[in-house]
Amino acid sequence: MKRGPRRDFLRAAGHALAGFLLGLGFWFALSAPYERLLAGTAEVLLRAVEMPAVTHLSSRDGEILVERGDLPPAEPRPGLPAADLHFNLALLAALFALDRRPWEASRVAAFLAGCALLFAVHAAALFFQVRSLYATGLGPWSAAHYGPVARNFWSGGFHFYQVAGRFAAPFAIWWLLRQEEGTEAREGPGRRRKTRT
Amino acid sequence: MAQGSRGSSQRRRSLGFLARFCALLVLLYVAVALRPVDRAVIVPFTGAVARISAAILNALGEPVTVAGTEIRSTAFAVAIENGCNGLETVLLFASAVLAFPAPWKRRVAGLLLGFAAIELFNLVRVVTLVWIGGHRPAFFSASHTILWQSLVVLFGVSLFLLWAARSRDTLAGSGQGTAAGR
Repeated sequence: MKRGPRRDFLRAAGHALAGFLLGLGFWFALSAPYERLLAGTAEVLLRAVEMPAVTHLSSRDGEILVERGDLPPAEPRPGLPAADLHFNLALLAALFALDRRPWEASRVAAFLAGCALLFAVHAAALFFQVRSLYATGLGPWSAAHYGPVARNFWSGGFHFYQVAGRFAAPFAIWWLLRQEEGTEAREGPGRRRKTRT
Repeated sequence: MAQGSRGSSQRRRSLGFLARFCALLVLLYVAVALRPVDRAVIVPFTGAVARISAAILNALGEPVTVAGTEIRSTAFAVAIENGCNGLETVLLFASAVLAFPAPWKRRVAGLLLGFAAIELFNLVRVVTLVWIGGHRPAFFSASHTILWQSLVVLFGVSLFLLWAARSRDTLAGSGQGTAAGR
């Protein structure tokens, strides 16, 4: 590796590590209110497609608690682990930190826009997770209310998020917003090096 | 005017890359999620990851045994599943490499080297997590869910960015145009 690219690589690695740690710090500090907001938003989405609207979501101790008004009272109320859903916020922070000057106002604004997009992804993922739970996780109740196609659709959708989506979403969002910055960052280290030599 | 047109063309190519990336990710996911593929490829592959990790742990003086895809020590057992076998990062990396406008020879070389590098890095993750589970169980959950998953994905993304930058430089040197990375 030449000196220029090595320096660029080390700078990017340092930025990514700093961004990751910073993202992790914010994620730890804000997880509880974030989960409350996420549960509220997903509840609105779920109730919008329910007839009658019976789902109530709340968050407690790192779990999203799912309550349905029409479930038999003896049925246990499931809790879904929330960290798995939204820890990729730290990944998004690390990716945005790869920029040459991530602290500039335009990049911070792009990062905040990225967070908003990621929030929409999290809400959609929680929507799928709850529907997947309804379709496959409630024993005879699930079998009585969901057919095989619906079971596969909802559980497949959430499984896609678990296996690929939660890692791909921060990358795709970063790529989308990264391209909107100035020419310098868009052209990347390779081009800049050429102009110097 | 020319700059504006170049900018919009770059944006189009970048969005094209993103659309190809998402489509390939879904396709590759469907391919590995199919039950016959899971039984014939993914489960044996995950078993191999478990056996190699166990061999490394035993060589490091950490006595463990393997049963299928599960690694067991005297104090701790961990089942390696999708998400722990490195394939989630391989899917992401492969989709990005295949979506990037580079010659096929470079893409195939990138895929092979990237797959090997990601799986090697993932072995470090599995070995470390089994050790943490046995010796510092209080840290296992955070290390497993947050730290190592993020690190493996960041490693995969870094590999792709490095590969894309080198592909771009090679193409620029040979006078061919390329797109998405700019």
